[in-house]
Amino acid sequence: MTIDRTQIEGKVVLHVAGRMDAESAVQFEAQCDSCISEGISSLVIDLGDLSYVSSMGLRSFVTIAKKLKSKGGELRICRLTGFARQVFELTRLNQVFPTYESVESALLGG
Amino acid sequence: MPQSLTLIAKPESLTPVTEFVRKGAHEANLPELHMRQLELMIEEILVNIWRYSYPEGAPGTIEVTYSVPRPGEMEIEVADQGVAFDPLKADPPDLTLDLAQRPVGGLGILLLKSFARSLKYRRQLGWNRLSFGISANP
Repeated sequence: MTIDRTQIEGKVVLHVAGRMDAESAVQFEAQCDSCISEGISSLVIDLGDLSYVSSMGLRSFVTIAKKLKSKGGELRICRLTGFARQVFELTRLNQVFPTYESVESALLGG
Repeated sequence: MPQSLTLIAKPESLTPVTEFVRKGAHEANLPELHMRQLELMIEEILVNIWRYSYPEGAPGTIEVTYSVPRPGEMEIEVADQGVAFDPLKADPPDLTLDLAQRPVGGLGILLLKSFARSLKYRRQLGWNRLSFGISANP
């Protein structure tokens, strides 16, 4: 799994690619925690190139979203596709997190 | 002919077990989406084993067996000698809860049940045996 961080107009986008499993979910959570410790309260997670996610990955998404909410922010996800989309839909987490079709629309929010 | 792999139940075993069942998936000619579903089911089962079957930091054995009865189909069994644990008896998660109320975990069994065909648990001579099938055929 790779995570690329970009900052667009003061907002942080994490592009997560590859496999998020029991092992790599820790890495994702650590990267999000590091953003939170910098004072960032909202994150856009670009999942367009996420080929695999298990329940351990979902656990990290929920954990981070709860932390962001407690800071008055939110976790937004975008570009869900393929297997990752199937997993988010089956668990209805696509209805729990604000979900967008593109990075641009996720940055705008609403 | 069934293929078997025996390993120690610990997080580091996830990769070799995944690679092992991928061989079967290639043999069965499973499409990409079914391959990912199979990998997820294996991961969810292994995570449950090292969490619940072998607690107290004393890892035991896991045995993974697969067969390819016909193209597009696989039968898999994962067995361990830990404490009796039937994951199919776990309460289903409430998917209507909002973020504040949602527990952070508890979704693995739901995913396993969603993707597996004929998921069965049995306790036999001190072994937990969880078997399931996956099929890309209509």
